[in-house]
Amino acid sequence: MLQPTDQNKLKEEPFVSPVEADEEESIGPMQRCVLFNLDRETYGIDVSSIREVLRVGRIRTVPGADEKILGVINVRGVIVTVVDMRRMIDVPVSEITDRSRIIIVELDEERPVGLLVDNVMEVRDIPEKRIEPLGSSQEDNSRYIQGIAHYMEKVIILVDVFNLISDAE
Amino acid sequence: MDEEILQDFLVEAQDLLEQLNEQLVDLEQAPDDSDLLNAIFRAFHTIKGGAGFIGIKPLVEVCHRAENVFDKIRNGEMAYTPEVADVILKVYDTIQAIIERLAEGERDIEEDAVDPDLLKELDALFSGDAADEEGTGQDASAEAGGEATPAEVKLDLPPDWDPDEEITDEEFEMLLKMREEKLQQTQQQESGAGDAEVKLELPEGWDPDEEITDEEFEALLKMREEKLQQASGSGSDQQAAASSQAIESAPAQKQEEKTDTVAKPKDKPAEKKPAAKSADSGKSESGKGGAAHQPKQESTVRVDTKRLDEIMNLVGELVLVRNRLLTLRNGAEVDIEEISNAVSNLDHVTTDLQASVMKTRMQPVKKVFGRFPRVVRDLARKLGKEIELELRGEDTDLDKNLVEALADPLVHLVRNSVDHGIEPPEERVKAGKPRVGKIILAAEQEGDHILLSITDDGRGMDPEKLKRKAIEKGLIDEMTAQQMSDKEAFELIMAPGFSTAETISDISGRGVGMDVVKSMITRLNGSIEIDSVLGEGTQIKIRVPLTLAILPTLMVAFGDDSYSIPLTSVQEIFDYDPAHTNRIDGQMMVQLRERSIPLYFLKEWLAPDLAPAEDREENDKVVIVNVGGQRIGLVVEQVRGQEEVVIKPLGVMLQKLAGYAGATITGNGSIALILDLPGVLQRYQNMQQKGGHHVATH
Repeated sequence: MLQPTDQNKLKEEPFVSPVEADEEESIGPMQRCVLFNLDRETYGIDVSSIREVLRVGRIRTVPGADEKILGVINVRGVIVTVVDMRRMIDVPVSEITDRSRIIIVELDEERPVGLLVDNVMEVRDIPEKRIEPLGSSQEDNSRYIQGIAHYMEKVIILVDVFNLISDAE
Repeated sequence: MDEEILQDFLVEAQDLLEQLNEQLVDLEQAPDDSDLLNAIFRAFHTIKGGAGFIGIKPLVEVCHRAENVFDKIRNGEMAYTPEVADVILKVYDTIQAIIERLAEGERDIEEDAVDPDLLKELDALFSGDAADEEGTGQDASAEAGGEATPAEVKLDLPPDWDPDEEITDEEFEMLLKMREEKLQQTQQQESGAGDAEVKLELPEGWDPDEEITDEEFEALLKMREEKLQQASGSGSDQQAAASSQAIESAPAQKQEEKTDTVAKPKDKPAEKKPAAKSADSGKSESGKGGAAHQPKQESTVRVDTKRLDEIMNLVGELVLVRNRLLTLRNGAEVDIEEISNAVSNLDHVTTDLQASVMKTRMQPVKKVFGRFPRVVRDLARKLGKEIELELRGEDTDLDKNLVEALADPLVHLVRNSVDHGIEPPEERVKAGKPRVGKIILAAEQEGDHILLSITDDGRGMDPEKLKRKAIEKGLIDEMTAQQMSDKEAFELIMAPGFSTAETISDISGRGVGMDVVKSMITRLNGSIEIDSVLGEGTQIKIRVPLTLAILPTLMVAFGDDSYSIPLTSVQEIFDYDPAHTNRIDGQMMVQLRERSIPLYFLKEWLAPDLAPAEDREENDKVVIVNVGGQRIGLVVEQVRGQEEVVIKPLGVMLQKLAGYAGATITGNGSIALILDLPGVLQRYQNMQQKGGHHVATH
């Protein structure tokens, strides 16, 4: 996923992950991800497509919109659509809590989208060799999943933001 | 081709062309104005220089010839007659077309971008012969060069050939074919002579990739020009001949396909071909003055550095206020007075900043007006009318997007005035009017609106005639016609399916009617008003808001959710009284001045789950809105009043959702959705018809 130049950059300024101990693991290209939870599972999104993470304020509903869309929020003067990640990947909908966050992702500067998630955990470098691509299944929900990483005793599902946003449009 | 140099050239050329457009028409009024002549000469020269440097040969060719012609004119060796003007304006169109193609990213400008006949006409002008006859062009170049240009092709026309007669498509095709064959022959004879490039002796150590200084550039241009002169001087116009031949040899068929971007073959039987004619008129409709050929919106704006400094200064102020507020926050005790000072300062700075930023989007209306002298001139000449166009208030500023959006409707209205308004000179004289008709195009700021008016002293409109026509067309009935005021009658011309011209002329009757103009203006949240006095003239007034970004709206709310209804569609508001409503065929209606108007409850559409407010009945209001000509009543709960809002696009996945024109951020930072009433109605009426909504189950 990452361009070679990005990899170099990452090596120059390695992320200080508290659990990063295994020498061998840190060798090779890494994918830096923001990890979050949805219904007990851990997901990751590549940091390069994330603009910011926000607490959940008031979301203005838009009558008539698709049910995946929770509404719109005002991010410093820009109207941003918020989608419910739970609905996007088809897990039971839950209440918004204090730990809920909106991750603002964007592909280019023009099209930001907010993703409502249960909570945001941490930023983590994942060795690319730990990521197993999820085949080319074109089924609805797996299209949003780029791969699965088994890392640090966790199963991390990596979200394909590009497919997610383009499909939603 | 160095992209950066090319872009610089394009910007410069576009500026020059914009000026040229006006200068050329002005020149016809004052053919002896030497300042004007010099300016025009310089413009062609500058474009030629730039084109030569980036290697666009056809452009160099055509500019070079135009420059020659103007050199002669400014030296008093020939006059700028309307005939010369026709040729020069064609040159202008050709240059404009090439520049546009370059601006759109095309890089291979082929030699046929310039109509070879145009070059010949220019040569003929330069060598001192009138160029309006087909044959003369040849004679002229023969005289000039000492021998006939190899590019000239004599066709073996049938003996009964009449150049003034209409020709059929087949005949035209045949002619083209004949011409092409001839050309191929000539080309074979002259093979190898097609290269008009000039080799320059560059200084040693010359690196084409390196940046060059202005002096170096000048020197290069000079070197090149000298070389060119030598080439043409020594070889008895070999150079010119060779290059024009190369141009000629391009398939004539191509010209046909490109009629809209390329100057139309002129002084050719082809002109009589109906297809060619329509292509030409299509071109002239929008192409004259470049109106139609700007499908792409300009993506850059030029801003006065003074304005930028002003903005920078205000932003500096903004930072200061922020710092002050931060200091206050960190201070030990709350100083209300200090805070309120800082906030009022912030208020001022942001207001000024908003105004300054808005100004950078403003452009003088001159940008649209600039093309009209040309539009009027060409059309008047075509129709044999004499018309003087007066422009007023050209410096009035309005939003950049509006400037672009207004171009087409205005062109249409002005053409209408020329075509239908102003009478032919004889008719005017008979009516005791001055021979020369007058059209005034004016712009002025009127509060938060711009008023544009097109006034002519032509024949005016007859309200009775308009009414009769509307009755004939079944647009209105006899009764309505009798009750109609004159003003309402004039407005009939904007009704769809109404056209005043007895025969549809190819000037104004090309499908785009006044109804389209009206809908274009309405889309800009503007209004249009017609006044006319039979025999004295017509005035059309257009009012548009200063900017498209700000919309006056009526704020309504359901619970915490507020909505904006564009004020342009709101007609009146009154208290909701169930006693004045009834149901007709399941549809709620409200009585208003003895008329029944369909009534809808917005809340049931937009907030069906919201519990009714306590004092509901008293607060409910009926808002009468006009949606596509139909009046409907909307029941709303809380009317918050009128508010000017800044329109922001809705986020992804919502932009195509029917019913919303966008969103805006209200004073308290929350979001209000801007309703698009036609969309809202369509969506919910469909829902009702399907019976899928509880409102519909009656």
